[in-house]
Amino acid sequence: MSVLSESIKQRIREHFDRYPSKQAVTLPALHMVQEELRCVPAGAIEEIAELLELSPAQVYDTMSFYGFFRDEDKPLGKRRVWICRSLPCMLRGGDELLAEVCDRLHISPGGNAKNDQVTIELAECLGACEMAPCMLIEDEVHPAIDADHVLQVAEGKS
Amino acid sequence: MGSVFIDDKEIDVDPKSNLIQAAREAGVEVPYYCWHHDLSVVASCRMCLVEVGEKKPDGSVAMLPRLVPACQTPAKPGTVVRTNTDKVKASREQTLEYLLLNHPLDCSICDQAGECYLQDYTYKFGRSHSRLNEPKVQRLDKYHIGEQIALFTDRCVMCTRCVRFTREISGTAELHVINRGSVEEIDVRPGHPCNNKLAGNVVDICPVGALCSKDFLYKKRVWWLKHADSVCTGCSTGCSIVVDQNEDKMYRIRPRENPQAQGSFMCDEGRFGWKHLQGEGRLTAPRAGRLAVAAATAVGSHAEGSSLSRSESRVLPQSDADFQDAWGGTSGGGILGEVRSAIASMAKQDGRRFVAIVSPFMTCEEAYLLCDYLRGLSKHITLAMGEVPIVGEDDLYPKGPRGESPTADNVKFTIRAEKCPNRLGVEAVLKRFQGEVIPFDVVLKSLASGAFDGAYYVGGYPPHEIPSGVVRAFEGLKLLIVQDLLQTPLSDLADYVLASASFAERQGTVINHKGLAQSYRVAVRPPGEARADGRILMELSGRKGLFHSPTILKEIATEIPALSKFGKEEVGTQGLMVMA
Amino acid sequence: MSEAFQPVLLKRCGKNTTVGIDAYLADGGYQGLKNALAKQPGEVTQTVIDSGLRGRGGAGFSTGTKWTFLPKGHPGPIYLCVNGDESEPGTFNNRVLIEEDPHQVLEGLVIAGYAIGASKSYFYLRYEYGRGYRALEKAIEEMYSRNLLGKNILGSGYSLDIHLHRGAGAYICGEETGLIESLEGKRAWPRIKPPFPAIEGAFRKPTIVNNIETLACVTHILDRGPDWFKTIGIPKDPNNPRDGGSYGPKLYCISGHVDKPGLVELPLGVTARELIDNYAGGVWKGRKAKAVVPGGISMGFLSAAELDTPLDFNGPGKVGCLGLGTAAVIVIDDQTSMVDVLYNTCRFFAHESCGQCTPCREGTAWSTKILKRIREGQGTMADLKTLDDISKTIGTMPGTTICGLADGAAWPIKNALQKFRPEFEEFIKSGRRSDLREVALAH
Repeated sequence: MSVLSESIKQRIREHFDRYPSKQAVTLPALHMVQEELRCVPAGAIEEIAELLELSPAQVYDTMSFYGFFRDEDKPLGKRRVWICRSLPCMLRGGDELLAEVCDRLHISPGGNAKNDQVTIELAECLGACEMAPCMLIEDEVHPAIDADHVLQVAEGKS
Repeated sequence: MGSVFIDDKEIDVDPKSNLIQAAREAGVEVPYYCWHHDLSVVASCRMCLVEVGEKKPDGSVAMLPRLVPACQTPAKPGTVVRTNTDKVKASREQTLEYLLLNHPLDCSICDQAGECYLQDYTYKFGRSHSRLNEPKVQRLDKYHIGEQIALFTDRCVMCTRCVRFTREISGTAELHVINRGSVEEIDVRPGHPCNNKLAGNVVDICPVGALCSKDFLYKKRVWWLKHADSVCTGCSTGCSIVVDQNEDKMYRIRPRENPQAQGSFMCDEGRFGWKHLQGEGRLTAPRAGRLAVAAATAVGSHAEGSSLSRSESRVLPQSDADFQDAWGGTSGGGILGEVRSAIASMAKQDGRRFVAIVSPFMTCEEAYLLCDYLRGLSKHITLAMGEVPIVGEDDLYPKGPRGESPTADNVKFTIRAEKCPNRLGVEAVLKRFQGEVIPFDVVLKSLASGAFDGAYYVGGYPPHEIPSGVVRAFEGLKLLIVQDLLQTPLSDLADYVLASASFAERQGTVINHKGLAQSYRVAVRPPGEARADGRILMELSGRKGLFHSPTILKEIATEIPALSKFGKEEVGTQGLMVMA
Repeated sequence: MSEAFQPVLLKRCGKNTTVGIDAYLADGGYQGLKNALAKQPGEVTQTVIDSGLRGRGGAGFSTGTKWTFLPKGHPGPIYLCVNGDESEPGTFNNRVLIEEDPHQVLEGLVIAGYAIGASKSYFYLRYEYGRGYRALEKAIEEMYSRNLLGKNILGSGYSLDIHLHRGAGAYICGEETGLIESLEGKRAWPRIKPPFPAIEGAFRKPTIVNNIETLACVTHILDRGPDWFKTIGIPKDPNNPRDGGSYGPKLYCISGHVDKPGLVELPLGVTARELIDNYAGGVWKGRKAKAVVPGGISMGFLSAAELDTPLDFNGPGKVGCLGLGTAAVIVIDDQTSMVDVLYNTCRFFAHESCGQCTPCREGTAWSTKILKRIREGQGTMADLKTLDDISKTIGTMPGTTICGLADGAAWPIKNALQKFRPEFEEFIKSGRRSDLREVALAH
């Protein structure tokens, strides 16, 4: 039983002619899989490796480097919210904000809360320092005004 | 070649070598962890940093302000290298302190202790204490990393040699780095342990005690081991090896670097495939007289034999005092005396009715001694080739992503299908004495059809199944002499069993698939009263003196034109190409 | 002079929208490309060399000169990679450029591609810039529809394709060979050099990696000429033959303890004090600045006494900082503990160290642990010596690691201990704990 749908596999294959090597499709493939499955299951790693003519270890080597992709025992919640703690955000309360949000959700960074509706992550610089403290919701940066605001956003209320 | 200056010593080096190699030429040790001459250069451990500069034509020296990795820097003519400056010393000290930050101080229970580059370099170049005030990072051991390999994760220095090995040499790519920065580790994917046929090499190339061989683990502290150069007999690649032993017990086999033979590595079949030499099935004493029942279909050589009745056989006395008497010697008597007269009388009656089966596990010297001896008795005696075991096809590395073999110009290691060490050498001897190489299956047919009354059969094979048809072919003989390591259905059938020695127990020379001659050195003594084949044959043939490989090789060189190279050069530790 | 400066790169930005192809063309867009295509590729490179443009990604190397490092007469393919992995804390100028005016960047990309003979360009963009990704995607589509990309661009015979490639959250992908490894689908472990990417880069082919803002500058240089570019900024120091000058407009990111954090465009050479007081509403809450990061945290710190340092390619180096970096100015007020600040920078680099070289992998993690302990009131004076040794052996002593990440990790330590040492000593002696709260991690 295949972990990856034929349509994902097809989309992965469609990336092949963009690069001189199939290995270069590793990151695009991992993104596609995680976007759809909220994690990259072991079986998916095997199937990506098969498609890209790599060993599963090579795929996981790359995958684990980024700290961005999730194993199947730790899938992402429905919304992933990253709170920045690098210097510009730290100076404006990023660390405390992250701590407060985690406290109120009773999780550590990386954990899921609210019945897996939300995942809170700590981030190093998100590149939105003028909004500090800032957060990343999925792949878009926003100012994070305070913990109430973050929690509202996290639950999809704003 | 060009001149480089290592700590003010001028030496000529190949400009393709790096500064570690150049320094070694100059007798200067540059410490390193990640670099390995057979793997890609990553320059990541930063242990080999040195100061470099360039000697200008006017004799002045311009040094670079920064440190450079010696592994990554070619020994360009005119390069000035300084390895003993304060800057270099400070950098080494600090790098070692970093490497040891999270490294456990468990040398006392670490298998690598005694051959550990962290120990050695810390002693030579390190600080006397660590300034770490924080708890060390603890990481779980990974005993599952391979069938033969355990990973002591917290000892790892992340040199990534093992990962590069599985990607570049074996091509099997099971090992990988996971995570990033100070929390990264070596790992395997679930369900994909590092079990490839070259896997054991990652233990050798691991510069610290992280990757350990389960087979050797906690068996012996390495400083008790004594080493002997030898040659692996597992296939016709003939890997140069080192046999590590203590008190006549073998503990492990390691590859010995030899660019002429296999390179730096060896396969696990060879590395672990010697256990039968210290196992139950060894013949440990000569024997005269047949056993009552022949276990014609016995698989392997073990166990079954022990249930046989020994009523008709005369097992030799076991005590040291009786030792000479049992084998007998050159002067006559004992089993060797009986064998000598039995063969002589058969040869005298009709040499055509006697056959010798010369094993491809014999050394050149042994094959020569046997053939020369028998030919001396009768020119009609048939000298035939023993079975040349072929298993599958040559196994080429690095494998591709789907396990496919590399193209011919990309092969980095070959496990050969021909599972014996010396077919070429034995063939050269047979061609000289018999004029041709009679294959085993042909002689087997002759045996089965009753063409012979007597046979001298030499084995030396690892445990393997001897088909009943083969055993039956020998059953009708009036005289069967078996010279072998292990008890087999054939040895059970024999009138005389001459308990012989393994490659680790004797000296001698074998010729690999491409004509490279290499020599075994004696690492351990044969078990019990078993004897080195060379000694058996010297005494049987009535030659004077002790068996001495170089002397026999000189004789071979004059007798066998194809092997005349033996007369010109010594075989040496790196071998000698005798049949280009 | 700076008062009168008319923004060049940000001319169309600041409206919280994305400039589309029509608006861009209507504003004279793609004239630089047309000018470039009318020249020989070598002339385009020469024009960029003549402009004195230095890379805006941090190292400040001459852009045009970098292009000349490609092997001559190479049969190809040659790749142009765009470094859009902007992750240096404090830095967000590239995000604004691609979100709001992507064509300005892509025009420079095609010009650069033409100059170096690239047939393919990989635009490596950090994952976090989703809005920018979609803006670029749309802009690239628009370009294909107007024959500004693809085969035979504007009838010139030159063809180029662009592929967007998204990262996955790793600072080290901003190092050009880390970026290349990441692009190739591997862990982003920077490569040893030589060979440099111009000789052997992406997919082992000659490759040029350029920063987003750099490419935006190229657009304007080809539009308005190198002489115009040189009228902006600081000319070469006549007493320093190795100085390449600090020409052109620069995007300065201002963040931290200022009233109005944001992005401003000014000629290179503005001082930190001018930026804070004139463009960011001054230090917040009426406080004073204790320290200022001149160009992303890798560059170290300016002390309060050094705020008049001109932020050009030479200025920060003269007061002991690593350099101009990304010109991302982070203001730290006088109520902030430098122990917390230094802990923050060390934590960042420990998190982002790729783990390849021993000194960086171990040194960044160790320095973080030491500072954490100091923050908890358990520091000793000996720790300061250890920190100093770490900064030397991971970065400030040249050659100790493969890439510059460790230099960036080392410089804040070195500067903090140099310029704020009494504060560290006082903190350690007092046995105080930092009152900055940090989240507890799971493991």
